[in-house]
Amino acid sequence: MIRYSIFLVLFLFFVLEGTVYQIFAPDLHGFSYTLIPRWVLLVIVFVGILQGRGAAMLYAIGFGILYDVIYSPLLGVYTFGMAVMVYLVSFSIPFFQKNLGMTIFMALLAVVGLEYFVYGMYSLMGLASQPHNMFFYMRLLPTFVFNGLILVATGFFIRKWILYVVKRKQELL
Amino acid sequence: MAPFFSNKRLIALLVCIIVLVALVGYSMSERRSASLPEQLLNDSVGWVQSAFSRPAHGVAGFFESINDMRTIYEENKVLKSHLDDYAALQVELSELRRHNEELQGSLELLDDPEIYDFSLRSAMMISRSPDRWTEYIGINKGAQHGIEEDMAVMTSKGLIGKVRSVSQLTSTVQLLSDQDRTNRISAMVDGEEAVFGFIEGISDESGYLQFTKIDIDAEIEEGMTVVTSGLGGVFPRNLVIGEIVEYESDEFGLTQQAYVKPSADFNQLDYVMVVEREAASLESDIDPENEDND
Repeated sequence: MIRYSIFLVLFLFFVLEGTVYQIFAPDLHGFSYTLIPRWVLLVIVFVGILQGRGAAMLYAIGFGILYDVIYSPLLGVYTFGMAVMVYLVSFSIPFFQKNLGMTIFMALLAVVGLEYFVYGMYSLMGLASQPHNMFFYMRLLPTFVFNGLILVATGFFIRKWILYVVKRKQELL
Repeated sequence: MAPFFSNKRLIALLVCIIVLVALVGYSMSERRSASLPEQLLNDSVGWVQSAFSRPAHGVAGFFESINDMRTIYEENKVLKSHLDDYAALQVELSELRRHNEELQGSLELLDDPEIYDFSLRSAMMISRSPDRWTEYIGINKGAQHGIEEDMAVMTSKGLIGKVRSVSQLTSTVQLLSDQDRTNRISAMVDGEEAVFGFIEGISDESGYLQFTKIDIDAEIEEGMTVVTSGLGGVFPRNLVIGEIVEYESDEFGLTQQAYVKPSADFNQLDYVMVVEREAASLESDIDPENEDND
């Protein structure tokens, strides 16, 4: 069970993003800024820094495929985007592992990178027509703050839980 | 730390980019229906999604009804005043209906289903794409329940979109507000004379639907109701889309363009209805696919 707990939690976040959050999403109830939940990516970056790049890449590709098939019209955009972002920020060295602030910063960096990548790809394919300044102020900044606040509130617990899982896994081996 | 990009990694990256381009190209190809692995994934995740959505809809509905309670008294008064008109209208409607049937009977038209006729299947919204780039929702009915691609989807207030892809147990609906260039439906203004055009996505600035390619000489006014035309062959006629709030001639001055305020609320969806048109799309003797048989 403990082996699969990371996958199960990621899948839970993935489902919550598309179902429960979408029913209560502030921008659907008159809030003018768009807040995009990127909880799956945040947790994958935590895994990448605390456990290792390989495991995180597997999760990134797996959940990227899920995003592509279930929520988006183009296959491959999220799979590639998430894998590249997770690869770029997963430094599993003690400096990042010991420092919760740095871990949070790297996770948010990945969120910004993914937003820009998807915006670029969709603009290229004619699926998004938002001008850049609107994208930046109405979408990127609010999303950054939203995900940042969530991580500041929960990052400590996510880190503890992943370290516990990693420790238990090593004991099992 | 090892060098960031060794030769091997560079090659892996290039291969990944090639795969990305191939996949994007594959999914951009016209009229692609969902492949078997996609259907499997959609259905199995859809099952989990509906388990999460159902209670969430319940909670949202509870808060909504508390909200409603505050306005219920005034609403009731307005409704009561409408009720008197309703009885008179009901009489007139049944009279007209009987008259219509008689006339159609004398023309022997009754057996063919009309372009207006449709049947409904209700479905629950189980998911919505979390990135706001695409306006897709997932519903919990699929091919097994008789849903087909391109069917119209509506709520009790009006049209909201069309079915984009179908799996066995779930399907994906593209809302009218989606930005995709191919998201276009044939519509008409319901007036003295029918005026035809296309609903083409939502405009970024105003948030209204764009009703384009209207004849330059056509007379349209603010407040006119826009409905589906049924000319596309898949939608029935007369599903309400919204009403015109503004119009202008388009950028080239060759056609007119209007902005339509949708009558359905795309943001707070819970239960939707999938519309199946009863009339065949083409008479069999003018269907080009049948020509070869003759």
